[in-house]
Amino acid sequence: MELGPRDIISRAMMTEFEEGHGFEGPHGKYLHLDVRHLGEDVIDRKLPFMRELGREFVGIDIVKDPIPVRPVQHYMMGGIDADISGATPMAGLYAAGECANVGLNGANRLGSNSLPECLVFGAAAGRAAAEYASSAKPVTANPVDAILWDEARRVEVAYLEKKGGDERIGAIREEMQHEMDTGAGVFRTKEGLETLVERLGGLRQRFSRIKIEDSSRTFNTELTSAIELDFMLELSQTIALTALARDESRGAHARRDFPERNDEKYLKHSLVFHRDAGKPRLEYRDVRVGNFKPQARTY
Amino acid sequence: MADKRITIQATRYDPDKDERPRLQSYEIPFSDDSMVVLDALNYIKSEVDGSLSYRWSCRMGICGSCGMMVNGTPKLTCNAFLRDYWPRPVVVEPLNNFPVIRDLVIDMDDFMHKLKAIKPWIIRRQEIPLGAGEHRQTNEQIDDFRQFSQCINCMLCYAACPVYGLNNEFLGPAAIALARRYNLDSRDQGLKQRLPVIADNEGVWECSFVGECSVVCPKGVDPAKAIQQTKLETTMRFVLPYGNRD
Amino acid sequence: MTNEAQAAPREYRWRMPANWWTRNRHYFLYVVREFTVVPIALWLLWLLVEIKRAGDGPARYSPHGSAAFVVFSVITLVFALYHSYTFLSLAGVIIHFKVLDRPLPSRLIVLAQFALWAVASVVVGFVLIWFAR
Ligand SMILES: Cc1cc2nc3c(=O)[nH]c(=O)nc-3n(C[C@H](O)[C@H](O)[C@H](O)COP(=O)(O)OP(=O)(O)OC[C@H]3O[C@@H](n4cnc5c(N)ncnc54)[C@H](O)[C@@H]3O)c2cc1C
Ligand code: SF4
Ligand code: FES
Repeated sequence: MELGPRDIISRAMMTEFEEGHGFEGPHGKYLHLDVRHLGEDVIDRKLPFMRELGREFVGIDIVKDPIPVRPVQHYMMGGIDADISGATPMAGLYAAGECANVGLNGANRLGSNSLPECLVFGAAAGRAAAEYASSAKPVTANPVDAILWDEARRVEVAYLEKKGGDERIGAIREEMQHEMDTGAGVFRTKEGLETLVERLGGLRQRFSRIKIEDSSRTFNTELTSAIELDFMLELSQTIALTALARDESRGAHARRDFPERNDEKYLKHSLVFHRDAGKPRLEYRDVRVGNFKPQARTY
Repeated sequence: MADKRITIQATRYDPDKDERPRLQSYEIPFSDDSMVVLDALNYIKSEVDGSLSYRWSCRMGICGSCGMMVNGTPKLTCNAFLRDYWPRPVVVEPLNNFPVIRDLVIDMDDFMHKLKAIKPWIIRRQEIPLGAGEHRQTNEQIDDFRQFSQCINCMLCYAACPVYGLNNEFLGPAAIALARRYNLDSRDQGLKQRLPVIADNEGVWECSFVGECSVVCPKGVDPAKAIQQTKLETTMRFVLPYGNRD
Repeated sequence: MTNEAQAAPREYRWRMPANWWTRNRHYFLYVVREFTVVPIALWLLWLLVEIKRAGDGPARYSPHGSAAFVVFSVITLVFALYHSYTFLSLAGVIIHFKVLDRPLPSRLIVLAQFALWAVASVVVGFVLIWFAR
């Protein structure tokens, strides 16, 4: 069990909490992971960083003490729609790595696949982008430039020239994190996701009233926090909407009310379009199944 | 316990407004014993003063971006516990020996150039095609350089090095340690390409062995050792008749 | 974007404070260590002078032996020992030998260095005393 895929482990841990097991800590409930049976030699050879983290940050020695653990958000499985050469539906825009969805991970990334993904698809996207750039017709007025200037102007007006406001970025971000953990965390339900969508709407409203104290043009990290929060709220809304529409459980998406996988209806990618200010539009695209057919997870 | 408080004095500098950096004082709740200096800065930024600028990312001693001077010593602020300073105030300043861009943010371009100068990648006399398979290495061969490969580029060693502070042409501790890491790697054949940079006057020979780099290094890299070993090795290459082999 | 945004950021340049070496115990010890070479160098210069004088033949030679010089020599000896000690301890850090594919512990290397140092001192002392007779 301890070496199972993370979605299964996370669910097992949450189940323990719900059944009243676990310890109470300053950051919520936690369990103990015990690696003491491995012995000092194996730990030092295979898990030196875990030992260092325990010693430096928690004040424990994992050779002698159990490790406090709990599930957390760790990776973004979806991403910008891209093919295996990193090309997105927008000509000239390429994506690779965690921000991209090339379909490698599906609904469940397996451990250690992410860094190889960066290397393999990063190289592919780089090559494809270079090819595109060298074959594209030369343009007189660079459209990318125009987009950049528009964006710069948007940021300027939305944040740097913004007056007033009474909402703190940090407070909204923290609430968003809490709401996402509760509503779209390890286990999900229809009610929980509906509440989440509503709360995220409220947070979006509050976001329009944020206060920007830093007007400096030099290394303004409050500005970047604001821009990031804007994007994160949008992504949260996207995750909540697609999770709500998916009446099944698949990989890390575990619906309490629909515990079974439904390949007939949902062997699909969810595509979300935020074209205009209105409600995001949800579409589906079939998953291309190659040599390996989806099977029941029986472990 | 609930109303325990701690004073943080942080450097503020905005090139558009300030002639020189100054310290600003914040008194914040010290609510939980596991709080680190970075938590205090994050608290200030989200609750007290959103304009305080600093770098950080992982909060687990691995990205190397949160290095600052804490009460005069270069530290990873995500690994500097407030409980070790309380009830004294904690003075947080940008890393010594670097130009300050803003508040606690330093300009690391110089360091980046130096890292690149030592070619920190595996160099082969003849590249083999990907399809020909991997370059194999035993655990023992990894042990030869493992320590020097632990560097997270946090630059604490540069902030601790008075030689670099006095002459920033000096290649510096982390870059030399990284060069050593690759020179000791059984798969690498790039020593000759790195020698002109590391064996230069501004390379290992600028070091007068203060040793403070190894004291402050949060990852046990021991750059001072790498530098002295490189001095010995480059001298041997020069002195010994068979020394100039690859 | 406005003009300010395009202006190169004005960075605050680092300047090493003149008293940098008093700010940290290690810096201070380092400066002391570096400083020890000054008396050692002076003493060695004096040694050269003595050798030159001794070259004129044993009859006319009498070594300089004032109390002040003895004190100076003792201080220099302490400095030289300190310097040698730091140097030899370092060797354990720098040199790495492999025996049967296992790295030799650095403690062993340091001990070997000190042993060699002791042997060398005995040999030199023996030569000096033997030939002086
Ligand atoms: C704790 C932890 C442990 C992990 N362990 C493993 C592991 O053992 N093995 C494994 O394979 N994977 C692991 N992963 C996953 C893996 O580390 C990441 O998926 C991978 O690093 C992502 O790399 P990336 O380059 O795609 O994205 P990132 O490394 O996230 O880089 C994105 C960059 O974009 C920048 N950025 C964001 N927004 C903007 C903007 N608006 N403008 C300009 N720049 C912007 C960010 O600052 C950042 O530098 C782990 C992840 C975590 C969190
Ligand atoms: S050698 Fe150590 S102190 Fe220097 S940059 Fe690397 S990890 Fe940081
Ligand atoms: S925040 Fe990454 S090392 Fe401190």
